[in-house]
Amino acid sequence: MGVTTERQDNTLIAKTDGRIDGANAREFQDALDAAIDSSERAVVLDLEEVSYISSAGLRVILLTAKSLQKQDAKFAVCSLSESIREIFEISGFDQIIAVHDSRQEAIDVLKN
Amino acid sequence: MTVASELHLKIETKQEELDRVSAQIEDFGMDSDWPLDLVFKVNLVLEEIVINVINYGHDGGLHAVDISLVTDDDALTIEIVDDGRPFDPLHDAPQPDVDAELEDREIGGLGIHIVRKLMDDVRYCRENGKNRLTMVKSVSK
Repeated sequence: MGVTTERQDNTLIAKTDGRIDGANAREFQDALDAAIDSSERAVVLDLEEVSYISSAGLRVILLTAKSLQKQDAKFAVCSLSESIREIFEISGFDQIIAVHDSRQEAIDVLKN
Repeated sequence: MTVASELHLKIETKQEELDRVSAQIEDFGMDSDWPLDLVFKVNLVLEEIVINVINYGHDGGLHAVDISLVTDDDALTIEIVDDGRPFDPLHDAPQPDVDAELEDREIGGLGIHIVRKLMDDVRYCRENGKNRLTMVKSVSK
């Protein structure tokens, strides 16, 4: 489970793909932790290529959101499939993490 | 009229088995013309329950977990039977506060909450030294 990164408008965009489940959530967490520096001010997690996520994956996203809040950085997720968006809503994650339809929308909001 | 179809799986309490479960669910869902969203949700529910059994059900050793899915015109019924320590997810699992602010949000505890939200009916019983969890999801044709 890899995480690729790129940078746009001072925002770090982290992207992964496939399934995020109980079997690889730890790997996802390690890859995400390694990708996000403590000096980051804005991070977007792009889930466009993610087909499945379980509570093990949600846990990693929550930990990341908490950690970024502590370092006073902005955080958003983008491009969720309808199924994943529903799981976000059921879990109340849409109330505490910014969810955007597209990567560009997320970047535009975060840079302001 | 749709003919009822069934899938029965016996797995061991080890994490690698989840891959086999999800592959079988995908095949079964495809054969049954399920929408992708239903495949997603069934996989999710099974993972959340089975991973609890794997992580907390026993003090060690490999144990069997029986999973069955039965579909008919109106509903999909999922049953999971394990011989782990008694665990009623409806009463024994802590309820996460999904309205808490980010800094107050507890890590974990979401799995059972998601199962309850995604399924229309969840029933638990302990019989013959085994946990039996029955979950029903209405399906509209």
